[in-house]
Amino acid sequence: MKKILGILITLIVLYILTTIIGDNFLSPYNQEQLLKRTALYGLLAIGVSFVIITGGIDLSIGSVVCLVGCGVPWLVTQHQWSPTMAVMMAFVIAVAIGLWHGFLITKVKLQPFVVTLCGLLMYRGATRGFAEDKTQGFGTGYSELRELATGKLQITEQFGIPMPFLLLIGVGVLAWILLNKTIWGRYLFALGNNEEAARLSGINTDRMVTLSYVISSVLAALGGLLFILDGNSAQPSDFGNFYELYAIAAAVLGGCSLRGGSGTVVGVIIGAAVMQVLKNMINLADWLKSHMEFLIVGGVLLVAVVADELVKRRVKK
Amino acid sequence: MKKILALTIGLGALAFSSCGKKDDEKKTYALVPPSVSNFWEICRKGGADAAEELGADFEFVTPESITDQKVKIEDLLSKGVDGIAMAPGDPANQTGFINEAAGRVSLVTVDTDAPDSDRKVFIGIDNYEAGWLAGDLVKEAAPQGGEVVIFIGNISQLNSRQRRQGLIDNLVDREKDPSRYDAPGQIVKGGKFTVLDTMLDGVDSPKAKANAADAITKYENLAVMVGLFDYNAGQILEELKQANKVGKIQVVSFDEHSNTLAGIKDGSIYGTVVQNPYEYGYQAIKVLHALNNGDKSMNPENGIIEIPARIIRKDGVEEFEKDLNAKLGK
Amino acid sequence: MLVAQGVTKRFPGVVALQGVDLHVAAGEVVALIGENGAGKSTLMKILSGVQKPDEGNVSMEGQTLTGASVAEAQAAGIALIHQELNLADNLSVGANLFLGREPQRFGWIERKTIHRESAKYLAKVGLDVDPEFLLSGLSLGKQQLVEIAKALSTQAKVIIMDEPTSSLSQGEVETLFGVIRDLKKEGVSVIYISHRLAEVQELSDRVVVFRDGENVGELGPEEMTHDAMVRLMVGRDVSQLYQRTSHALGEVALTVSGLRTQVHPDKEINLEVRAGEVVGISGLVGSGRSEVLEAIFGMTPAVAGTVQSVLPKSPREAMAMGLAFVPEDRKAKGLILDLSVEENTSLASLKQEANGPFLNHGHEVALCEKMTTALAIKTPGPWQKARFLSGGNQQKIVLAKWLALSPSVLLLDEPTRGVDIGSKEEIYQLMEKFAREGMAVLFVSSELDEIMGMADRVLVMREGRLAGELDRADFSEEAIMTLATQSQS
Repeated sequence: MKKILGILITLIVLYILTTIIGDNFLSPYNQEQLLKRTALYGLLAIGVSFVIITGGIDLSIGSVVCLVGCGVPWLVTQHQWSPTMAVMMAFVIAVAIGLWHGFLITKVKLQPFVVTLCGLLMYRGATRGFAEDKTQGFGTGYSELRELATGKLQITEQFGIPMPFLLLIGVGVLAWILLNKTIWGRYLFALGNNEEAARLSGINTDRMVTLSYVISSVLAALGGLLFILDGNSAQPSDFGNFYELYAIAAAVLGGCSLRGGSGTVVGVIIGAAVMQVLKNMINLADWLKSHMEFLIVGGVLLVAVVADELVKRRVKK
Repeated sequence: MKKILALTIGLGALAFSSCGKKDDEKKTYALVPPSVSNFWEICRKGGADAAEELGADFEFVTPESITDQKVKIEDLLSKGVDGIAMAPGDPANQTGFINEAAGRVSLVTVDTDAPDSDRKVFIGIDNYEAGWLAGDLVKEAAPQGGEVVIFIGNISQLNSRQRRQGLIDNLVDREKDPSRYDAPGQIVKGGKFTVLDTMLDGVDSPKAKANAADAITKYENLAVMVGLFDYNAGQILEELKQANKVGKIQVVSFDEHSNTLAGIKDGSIYGTVVQNPYEYGYQAIKVLHALNNGDKSMNPENGIIEIPARIIRKDGVEEFEKDLNAKLGK
Repeated sequence: MLVAQGVTKRFPGVVALQGVDLHVAAGEVVALIGENGAGKSTLMKILSGVQKPDEGNVSMEGQTLTGASVAEAQAAGIALIHQELNLADNLSVGANLFLGREPQRFGWIERKTIHRESAKYLAKVGLDVDPEFLLSGLSLGKQQLVEIAKALSTQAKVIIMDEPTSSLSQGEVETLFGVIRDLKKEGVSVIYISHRLAEVQELSDRVVVFRDGENVGELGPEEMTHDAMVRLMVGRDVSQLYQRTSHALGEVALTVSGLRTQVHPDKEINLEVRAGEVVGISGLVGSGRSEVLEAIFGMTPAVAGTVQSVLPKSPREAMAMGLAFVPEDRKAKGLILDLSVEENTSLASLKQEANGPFLNHGHEVALCEKMTTALAIKTPGPWQKARFLSGGNQQKIVLAKWLALSPSVLLLDEPTRGVDIGSKEEIYQLMEKFAREGMAVLFVSSELDEIMGMADRVLVMREGRLAGELDRADFSEEAIMTLATQSQS
């Protein structure tokens, strides 16, 4: 609770602020959209937070989103794969990417930044190659499959919880159990704090690090799948651009230290929500110009991180 | 305790929300392009002028990507605008979403159409015809014929694909057929012209410039370089200057980027095909307002309002620019 | 000449120095001795201006120093030579001497001046090398002399040396002592910090003993016996500190044969430790002691050889053979500082006690309770982060982590480094208890007293190989040092 208090307050303040300065912020339609976006980015953020907890970084997330987001419709619409097969293929590739990253980082001993930076370039390049830079989507078909992202659990007549948010809750609960109730979670925190000491305590640190990259890639693939099912249009050249940075920002806002060893699932989800409320605020408030979005998002992030750091220092004293 | 506090604050906020409501008298219309460029700035001006005439509010939001276009429009719907004019980035795949939005507010498409959607009206040009016009310009610029390379942001959008096809079909003396498609990289020959390549830059100006440089290096006997997105001709010209080939290779442009107009004035660009983005924006908002007032008079039978394209050469450029600046209030 | 009065320095949670007085006359060699953590290094840092005292002051030739900066201390004529030399390996000897204060003209470095001046100071310390020579080409002993030359070139009148002989060969030590005696004749004072009591006796005019941040006594040349020094340092008779009981030894519990470490791949190590036996490994810093333990535990896998019957490639494999290892640097390698006492204690045995992949929290609580009681770990609670515990308690947590697995062989690297005297005694008692219960204990230590007090047998290493072995009956400081330093003939 102490760890996420700062970010929770930030979310509440932004919520109130947007209610005041934005139009119809609390309308059921807008709240649905917010929940959905928080879910999509939150899944990516949960994934990367595993890597960050081990003291690593995954810059390839946006490109994995692109690979899956373009690859699945490409397989389905242009190569007549069944949607099930295409989705399974996407996850197989995501697992392979995670294992590959883990191998390069733990066995070849390359730095995570470099490995995943190369991944960022390669997976996008590969996607642009096989998709021939053409925009991919499901057209008007496959509405059952798209239910996964566009469906809702209707609560009242006007408001329903979007499917992606239910998925986020499911993934979040699993992630929480993994981190807090299993020996693997303990191992991840231990090695994130001090990899050498963890290894000397008999932990197979290489395997745990690899696991974290697999989780990151798989959740990026899940995110990519939901993004394309929701948006139905993916341009290989820009789909998922910068998403790794949004995910990392959400994870850091949510209490993950880039030095490794700390982070909470709930915090990360709130961090993702803060980012989305902020963007929503800029669009809904008349006097905030949408082309200043990056300035405002970056500024608020900085303020939040600085405030958090100051609070932590005070607590330490 | 903290949870209770948060809840109280949340409820308080709910109470506040009613204050945020707009007054119902004044309508709000929004224009959502697929990307950021000068072209859309001019379009914005047209929309803004129309809104002012109608006493309505006007919003212009610029997405970062096709994915973000959806987010931006969802937020506009949340906010409660009365009509949206959009240029879909990916009409084929966005149809479902466009229908969803069109179910909530009046919606028209500009520049790029989504013919299978529930949009009320499309305002724009027939891009195949406009491309054909660019072909006429190329033939004028290089009457002896020769090798041509085409530069374009992407061909995933229908309008850019058709624009390019119109140009190619005209150059190689084919019959008009908007559904024809030649893949980039495929050499197309016919009549006096050979289309060697189509270079895509993903709407990234530095990439466009690099593409132009690569083409100049790779193809020694180029007769004409055609830029089909508004920034392309300017980037081509920059590279020609650096390679000292201005005048040796002709440049034909599309749209009215300021670099293009300057190039036409000093003779380094032969001419350009201009659409009328100001009119797109202006008409779109007028149509939306009419639709909202139940006025069907502006709504054509086939759902398409065509704003024809024109050719601008050196002789007409001064006048065109004056008119443009007047519209932009410069 | 140099006078420190009533110097007090506090760090969060500890008083490092408590009203310490120290005076050094011109041309005097004063030895400073004391256990790790007694406050010697803090005092040195204050004398050389690295840290500012909270109370008290330092004066040089009657001038009181503000204690604000190293530059001030240097200008006053005080120079500090760190144990780990502060030299740039890839620069020339001359460039090192004048690093940061190069003679310049119009912004250009005057190489000729550097060359001339360097040669002068190098001659003073009896070092016959070309100032253009790369520092990395010199032996550690010669690099030490370069440091001294550097100190002299700043016109130092007091040179503080922190364990200068810890990595020198016997011959190099004698050269160094010669230089120090020459300096003394020229009126330069030396404050000499060392663990080697024999060296202290040989070299110094006076010994100042530190314990727990206080100056607990000074000994003149006649009073400087080994026992007297140890008694002051430890605060009691050594015989009380190291209590060993004799008991029968069991079977051979650890067999290492043909072990070649990555650092000394050309030297083979063979050793055996029997159940119930405590074996010490002694030797100079850099003689490859820690590397042997790290290779046995699979932490830095050996190039060749076997432990028991296989070559452990990872700590996990070594653990499976019943081995446990307490590393030298517990903060970097022994503990997860930001995990709690409980989480650290259970870390190595988590898997054994888990229900499938799920943590067995009940067991963790019980284990932590058992261990904190058994090892007398002082913590406000099991939730406390290991970071906030004292060195001795941290070391006990590392021990507890391994005891949870009931190992048959315990490897310890410098088990009492940075630990207060009370905890030290407790750790010695634990080592004795483990041995009595049948564990084989193999430990590395730089402290001869510890080796002689605790080991049944000592293995002495030199340059990566086992130079000799002594049984308890044959232990003496001289015998061990001779084995550790004599050059191969």
